[in-house]
Parts: sequence; C-alpha cells; structure tokens
Amino acid sequence: MLENFCYKHKGAFLQTLHPVAALTYLAALLLRPLIFNHPLYLVGILLASLLAAVVSDALGEWFSYFTVGLWMAALVLFLNPLLCQSGETVLLSLPSLPLIGRRFFTLEALCYGAAMGIRLLGVITAFALYNTLVHPDKVTGLLSRFAWKSALVVSMSTRMIPALARDLAAAREVQQMRGVDFSSGNLRQRLQKYGWLLELLLVSSLEGSLQTAEAMQARAFGCGPRSHYRHELVRPRDYLCFLSGLFALLLSVYARVRGYSAFSFYPKLAQPAAGNIVLFWFLMLMFCLLFPSILAWGWQRWPFLRSRI
Amino acid sequence: MPVRTLNRLARIAAAVLLTAGVLALASWQLRFILQHWAVFALLLLLAALVLFFIHFEKSTLSSREVGLISILATLAAVSRVPFAALPSIQPTTFLTIVSGYVFGAQAGFMVGAVGALGSNFFLGQGPWTPFQMLFWGLAGASAGALGKYFPDVSRVGMTIFSASWGFLFGWLMNLFFVVCFIEPLTWSSILLAYAASFLFDCMHAFGNVCFYLLLGPSVIKVLQRFKAKITYTESQVPG
Amino acid sequence: MGVATLAFFEIQDLTYYYPTRDKPSLDQINLQISEGEFLLVTGCSGSGKSTLARLIAGLIPEFYGGRLQGKVLLRGVKLQGRQRSALHTEVGIVFQDPERQLVMTSVEAEIAFGLENLGLPRPEMFRRVAEVMTFLNLLPLRDQFTAALSGGEKQKLVLGSVIAMHPRILVLDEPTSQLDPVAATDIFNLVESLNREMGYTVILIEQRLERCFHLADRLVVMEEGKIICDQAPGEAARWQVKEGLPFIPPVARFFAALSPGSDSPIPLTVREGRRELQNRLPSFPPRVNKRDCRKKSSAQEQQKPLLLQARGLWYAYPNGPEAVRGLSLQIREGELVAVIGPNASGKSTLLKLLAGIIKPDRGTVQLQGINTRNLPPSEMGRNIGYLSQNPNDYLTRDTVEDELKFTLENFNLPDNGIGIKILQRLGLDHLRQANPRDLSSGERQRVALASILVTEPPLLLLDEPTRGIDCRLKIGLGSLLQEIASSGRTVVVVTHDLEFAVEYAARVVMLCDGKVACDGPRQILGDSIFYAPQMARLFRGQAEGILTVDEALAIMQGGGAGACQDA
Repeated sequence: MLENFCYKHKGAFLQTLHPVAALTYLAALLLRPLIFNHPLYLVGILLASLLAAVVSDALGEWFSYFTVGLWMAALVLFLNPLLCQSGETVLLSLPSLPLIGRRFFTLEALCYGAAMGIRLLGVITAFALYNTLVHPDKVTGLLSRFAWKSALVVSMSTRMIPALARDLAAAREVQQMRGVDFSSGNLRQRLQKYGWLLELLLVSSLEGSLQTAEAMQARAFGCGPRSHYRHELVRPRDYLCFLSGLFALLLSVYARVRGYSAFSFYPKLAQPAAGNIVLFWFLMLMFCLLFPSILAWGWQRWPFLRSRI
Repeated sequence: MPVRTLNRLARIAAAVLLTAGVLALASWQLRFILQHWAVFALLLLLAALVLFFIHFEKSTLSSREVGLISILATLAAVSRVPFAALPSIQPTTFLTIVSGYVFGAQAGFMVGAVGALGSNFFLGQGPWTPFQMLFWGLAGASAGALGKYFPDVSRVGMTIFSASWGFLFGWLMNLFFVVCFIEPLTWSSILLAYAASFLFDCMHAFGNVCFYLLLGPSVIKVLQRFKAKITYTESQVPG
Repeated sequence: MGVATLAFFEIQDLTYYYPTRDKPSLDQINLQISEGEFLLVTGCSGSGKSTLARLIAGLIPEFYGGRLQGKVLLRGVKLQGRQRSALHTEVGIVFQDPERQLVMTSVEAEIAFGLENLGLPRPEMFRRVAEVMTFLNLLPLRDQFTAALSGGEKQKLVLGSVIAMHPRILVLDEPTSQLDPVAATDIFNLVESLNREMGYTVILIEQRLERCFHLADRLVVMEEGKIICDQAPGEAARWQVKEGLPFIPPVARFFAALSPGSDSPIPLTVREGRRELQNRLPSFPPRVNKRDCRKKSSAQEQQKPLLLQARGLWYAYPNGPEAVRGLSLQIREGELVAVIGPNASGKSTLLKLLAGIIKPDRGTVQLQGINTRNLPPSEMGRNIGYLSQNPNDYLTRDTVEDELKFTLENFNLPDNGIGIKILQRLGLDHLRQANPRDLSSGERQRVALASILVTEPPLLLLDEPTRGIDCRLKIGLGSLLQEIASSGRTVVVVTHDLEFAVEYAARVVMLCDGKVACDGPRQILGDSIFYAPQMARLFRGQAEGILTVDEALAIMQGGGAGACQDA
C-alpha cells in the first residue's frame, strides 16, 4: 500500500518536465479548486488531473490518493450540514441536544459539503500528481539554489530513511529473537517495547551522524563559498507546459475576480445552468489544463512530435 | 565592522519598509481581510514556515550540526511509519520535542519540519504537508525555548508540555481543515469541528505523554551526552 | 649540497591525545611518504592506525579536537593553523562504512558534493563528474537513488566522489571491511590502477591483507599508537613471523616461516609462491587421499542426532526475487558449519528462515523434529541464539550485566550465575557495570554474543560475525565457537571470510543462487577454484586437503597425516 505514495520513475512525458514547468502546471491544478466553488469547474479540474494521471501511467497511484481523499470528502459532506445551519431547504431536523441546541440538515449545506468534498478531492489528486510526476531530487535541486542548507538537510534525511527503516526492521528481528514479543501486551507495554527500539536506534544513529559529518568535512564541507552543480535540461516541452500552466493560473485569477466562476449556495442554490461567458471561460481554462496531457499523448503516439518537443 | 553595520541598517530599513507596506495594504483592504481572515491566517502561517527556513539558511552550520539534524529528522520520519496504523499515536512529536529541548529552537524546528516532509515521502505528500512541517517545527522550536529559559524543567513540566503539544498540534491542523472546507465560519461550527477531532487529539497527547514517561529522561540523557561530546571537542581545537 | 630527497608528506615526532583521554593515540610517530608510493598500514583495532589516517587527512585535530605535538610537513613546508585546511584539497579519505559517507540522493549529485564545497565553476564540475563516472563505470547508475545501491557500488561511489576532488594523496581506512570479497577485489583493483596508472599516492589501512599485501611498497605495522615496523612487505613478513605478529597473508606467512633465516625474497602472491614451491620441492610430497578424509568424517557425523532439518525451502521477498529456491539442509548436534557463497546467494535469508524470523513460502524447517511453524516465537528464541551483523541491535540496557538479565527475564529463566560465567569466558568480567554503548565495537559484539548465550541455546546462528573485527578478536571468536561446538551445541556461521571458515569450521555449505552448490567437510574448499583459501591455491595439484598455513607447514616438515586431523 505504502509504495503507491512514493515517486517511481516510469519515463512518462510529464515526468521528464523541468521542475519549474511541472510545478507551475501543478500549481495551476492546485489553485483552481482552492479559489473556485462552481461545481462545473470543480468536476472539470478533477477530470484534468485524472487525464494527466492516465497519460503518465500513474492511475494506480492516483486512485490510492483518490480513495484516501474520498473518505475525507465523505467526512466533509456530512460534517458541513451538521456544522453549518444556513440554507432554506430543511431536509431533516435533529432532536435538540444539550449545549449545542437544535440542528438542521439543509439541502444547501449538503450541496456545499458535496462541492467542498470535490474541492478536497481536487486538492488531494493534485498532490497525487505531484507525488508521481516530480522527482523529489528535482525540487531539492531547485531549492538548493535559494536555500542550500535546508536542501542539504532534506536530501541527507531522504537518503538515510531507507537505511534507517532497514535498521529498525533488523533491530526488531533481533529483539524478537531475544524474547521481546512485540505483538503482546497492552498499549503501554507495546509502546515501551517500541520505545526500546527507538532508543537503540537513536544511539547508533547519533554515532553514525558523526561519521557522516566527518566524511563531509573531509570533502571540504564548510571550507568556503559553495557553488551549485544541479542543472536540469530544458526542452521545448518545458516552455509549452510552463506557458499553459501560467495561462491557466492567470485565467483562473481573472475568472475569479470577474466572478465568472461564482456560484452561490446560500441561502438557496443558484441555477446551475451557465451563460455563454461562463462556458467560454471554463473551456479556455480546461484547454490550458489539458494541454500538457494532450502533448503527452501526442508524444507517445507520433515519433515526429517526440523528436520536436 | 562598517560593512556589518551597513548590512544591519539595510536589514532594518527593509523590515520597516515591509511592515509599512503590509500595514498600508491592511488598512486599504481591511474589510476584505477581515472577511477572509482565515485565509490570511493561513498565509501568515506559511510565511512563518518560510521565515524559519530563511533563519536556518542565515545561520552558520558545522558538518556535525548538519549530520545531527538530518539524522534526528530521519529518525523522527522513520519512527512514524510503524505507527501508521494507530490513530494519532507516533513518537515523532516526542522526538522533535526532546531534540529541540536539548539542541535548541533552530535544531528542533528543522527536526520537526524535515521529519514531517521526509515521512510524507512514504506516507504521501498532501495539502497537509506544509502544515505538519510548520506545526511539528513549532513544537521543536518551542521546546528549544523551553530548554533555554527553563533548563531544569521538572518531569511534570515536560509531561504537561508534551501533552499540550498533542492538543495544540491537532487544533492547529484543524484550523487548516476548517478554513478551507467549512463555510460560513461561525464559532459554533468551529467548536463542533474541534469537538469532532477531540478523541484523536487525546490519543496524540496520550502517545506523547507515554513516550515521554517511558523514554524521555533516558533519551534526553543520551542527547545531552552527545551534545557534550561534540561541543567539548570543538572547544579543544588549538588556535 | 647533496641531493636531498624531499618527502612529499612527512610527519615528525608527532604525539596526539584525543580529548578526555590521558593515553596518547599516536605516540612519537615519524613517517615519510614519497610521491606515488603505496603504503599499507596495519595493526590491531585500537592501535592508532585510523587515527593516523585521520591525521593525514587533516581531520585531526580540526574535527576531533584534542592535543597535538609535533610537525606535519607537506612538500617540506610545515602546516600550521589555517594552512592545515589545505589538506582537504590535497588528501582524500575513504572510510569503512559506505552507508555513513553518502549524503546526497543521486549518484551524480554525490560526486558533485565535494566539488560544490570547493566552490568550483560549473563547467569544471561537469567535466570532473563525467570523467569520474566514466572511469569508475558509474554511468549506468547515474540516476539511481544512492540508498538503493549495493554496498560495493556505494563504496565505489564514495571513492569516485573523493577522487573527483583531485587529491594528491588517497587515504583508505579499511574501505572493504563492510564488503563481500568480490566487491572488495573490485575496490582493490581500482586502487591499484589509481596508484599504478594515475600516479596517486595511496595510504591503505587494512586488516584483511590477502588481496593487497603484494600491492604495497611498504608495510607499516602499528601497536599502541607507535609504528613498530616500517619495511618492504617481504622483510616485514619475515620480521613478523619472528616476533609472532599476525599481520601477514597466508602465502607470505608460510614462506617466511619455512625459511626464517634466509635472505631470499619472500613470495607474496600465489603465482610467485607456486614457482618458489616448485624450486623447493622437485619431488612432490605424498598426496593425501581425500576420499579417506571424507569417509572418516561422514562416518563420525552419522552418529550424532539430527538437530535441524530443512526440506525444500522456498522464499521470495515481497516484491522481490526468490532468495531461497528449493533448499534442503540437515544439521546435526555438535556441528560447526560455515555457510559461504557470493552476495545475494541467499545466505542471510537462509539464516533467518532457520531462525524462524521469516517463514518459508513452501517447505518446512524442523527443530528437533518439530516444525518451526508450530513453535511460538518465544520458544524459537530460547532454542536458537541469533547474532546479527550489527551488535548495536542488542544493546538496550544501561549495563552489560542488565543486558544478560534482560534476555533471561524475557524467557522467564532464573539467573543462576550463568551470566557471570559467560562474561568471564568472554573476558567481559571487568565490564559488568559498564554501559555497553561506551565499549569498543569488538567488546560490543561480545556483549551481544553473551546476551544470547545466556539462555544456553542448543543452536547458535551467526551472521557475518567476523565483519570489521581485527585478527586477534577473530582468533578469540573462532576458538570460542569451536569450544561451544565441542560441548555438544551446534553453530552455524554465515561468512564471507574464507580463511576464517577453513580455520574453524568442520563443515562447509556453499550457496549459490538460493540453492546448495556444495556441502561437505571443509576439505571440499580445496577443490574449489574461486572459493579456495590461499594455501589450497598454492598447493593445488601438489598436495590435497591443505587449507591453512599450519597444515602446510606440517606437510612440509614431513608426513601428510596432519591435514586430516581437524576433520
């Protein structure tokens, strides 16, 4: 289950993007569910991120996130009408409770909850794409230009995680052979047993950190101003995806400011039907968001396009 | 010396200008900000995260400190994974707090923040990542302040401190949830959302207290011995 | 003025104390290193050889603190204060554990790390990274996550990231102690070509000398912070035999012991040795009949009752390859079995299957006739003592004594003085109240061993117990294991260390690709080509069944009977 949450390189088109291009595109995907509440837009965004996952051969990962998101969305769907008492169409009225008084379930609050659930799914799937499309190293590399110390700590810590996880498993096996039964006892006793492992791991890790520091010092760490090695190749596709991401961002902000994407839930649901202007802006936005996926699809199909971008 | 004063002046000037700018913006769009106070609160929190990292960048770091902070952050990250099945109980908060308490606010912040980031490489990055980074970082930083101003805080004090971070962490994380997904925001709806997460926060606090009572004193001893070891050798370098 | 031969690097009358220590770790050291030289430094653990490496690399006293007296000269210029940081660029150092030396997530970034620290311009960094990756054949790995590399690849990467900084002197502090023999040979070959073809000055600190003794121009032996020997390898071998020191590979030891008085050069490699042997022995010594050996030993084995029986074991790691494939094995009481084999041949997996840490996908393991699937973990732990590669995994208590009590408490066993007996036998008696975390790595290993021996398990499983321990400790460990086996208990050792296996084990099981490739008394190693110890390779075709120096000396001094005695 857990491995679906880590980055795996599959050589997909969107995985080859320059981090700036990829991050701009993802930022556009992320921003839109946050600033819009029109159901059409929200569903459209979900669709765009699903398509991006399809062309990147990352459906499995996408769905792992989606299912997690679904639970949270369901929570939002039911919490919102419970917490929020606005809206005129009362579906259900709960008996009076001490402290909080009488609660009503309204249609509007339920719909708002549903829209927020989709918003949450949009945000979560945007992160699913981030996880599957952007190599953590690329981000750390980008970061190291502005903040190399933090980037170094992040990179070292990432590098050591698998080794430490292995050490943890090995120490657990050893203690198990020594008669420590990790599957018995009450919660406190179990925490105690894991606590021993943790302490043991801490001691050997601290020793290890000195060795690492020594190796860094021997490789001239901290002996003067540093330069930066990390570089990413730039291809035409990066400009294309960067621009479409940027346009999507700008268009979103514009559409939001002009109110094209506005939708009011309270006190009564607005008419979901949309005028031509709303539809036009929606299609414009969708095109910008789908453009990288379309490119990716073409890149897989036509060698000519592949050689050009 | 003059260069340093100049730098300082420039920094003060920049800070004053920035504050003036923010204030001007605030008074101009006060109504808008008040309407969307929650969004601005979130933005402020994220800005705090960035500021902490900038502060870390400005500090001078030895290879030992980098090694130490990274390994503690790794440990905080890895130790979260075996507990993924238990709701809200994990030793990450505990490790962050003791690291901050022994090695200071900055180290504590980095351990918490990088630990949150690192564990999410495996548990999944999401919109929660920056907030977890910030709040775990804050837990470490506040423990650093505690260690600085109350170096001989009692066991009871530390237990209360750990427990309160269990609740505080949950409440701060709720803020992000409530602000983004519940509208209109009223005090009663916020209160209800907090009530809904109360059980999880209790579990978190319970885990923190357990880990502290079971391991705290001995882990703090181990860390303090290590600190003495690395600072002692540093002071011995001949001129 | 005469032609003064100026040493490239020189240490004069140097004494060094680590902080908080009263005993000097380096005591009146004088050492000259000329350009392009290959210096081999050896000695027991704690002899100061690693300290010497760190001094040369400029980490002492900058990183460790402490007090330093004496002079360090580079190209005849004394290094003082800030000048010493010049050593970072002149000297590169590779340490023991590759896992602890890597800091970046990708291979390319790792090589560039040192270059970034030096603040080199980007085009220069690109050139150097490309060169190093080509030279070390790291190009296929360039995008790999460094944590996913094998131990050998990691160490190669560390070496690469050091030589990318273009040091003049390369210091290697036991670079292969954590590696298997194939990966170790790879590293030694690289170091050899760096020295021979690229002209690097090499200072190699090593304890396993079989693969590097002949490469050295000089051998330096250290003891208690002093240099006690600084000679060409041949002379050093002869001197050590006279003094009874162990830092000689088998071939050199054999010839040095054979003719202690003569001045003729001592062969250092198997090839030279075979030539020399032919000169000495125009008529071959009587062949030992190996059939006899096998019959005798197998007849002995049959009488002992069966302790552990594995039938048709299969095991595949989740999302991984099949590590053990249809493996069957019988182990009798009182046996001392060495399991050898290349990397990823399933040795450690087999050990875990036998210990019941993991359960086989198919097949059964029977301990004293009971299927281990039906035994609860506590029962397994009481009957099987399992020693992992990392002794730190055992240390959870504050004193050595409590560590032993902890195991007893876990199994609800009474403490009837067995703990003290074991501590005495392992020479840990004086450390009973010590914190195990303050001990040296050799002592920690013995504490770990004591903590599992305390339940007196009938079966002992050890995973690479000789990794990273020095030859003196190795002898102690070997004789302890033999003692345990002769008391009727059973020992299974997984090891890469062939010389250790032939010295102490009575039976050898060789695994390959998850299957048993061969299984028999230790003499079968004499038939092997790549898995034969040095002495067997020396005597191949001339005398059978010779595996150790003592056996060879016995045969040279008349009579072939000695070779069979141990079996």
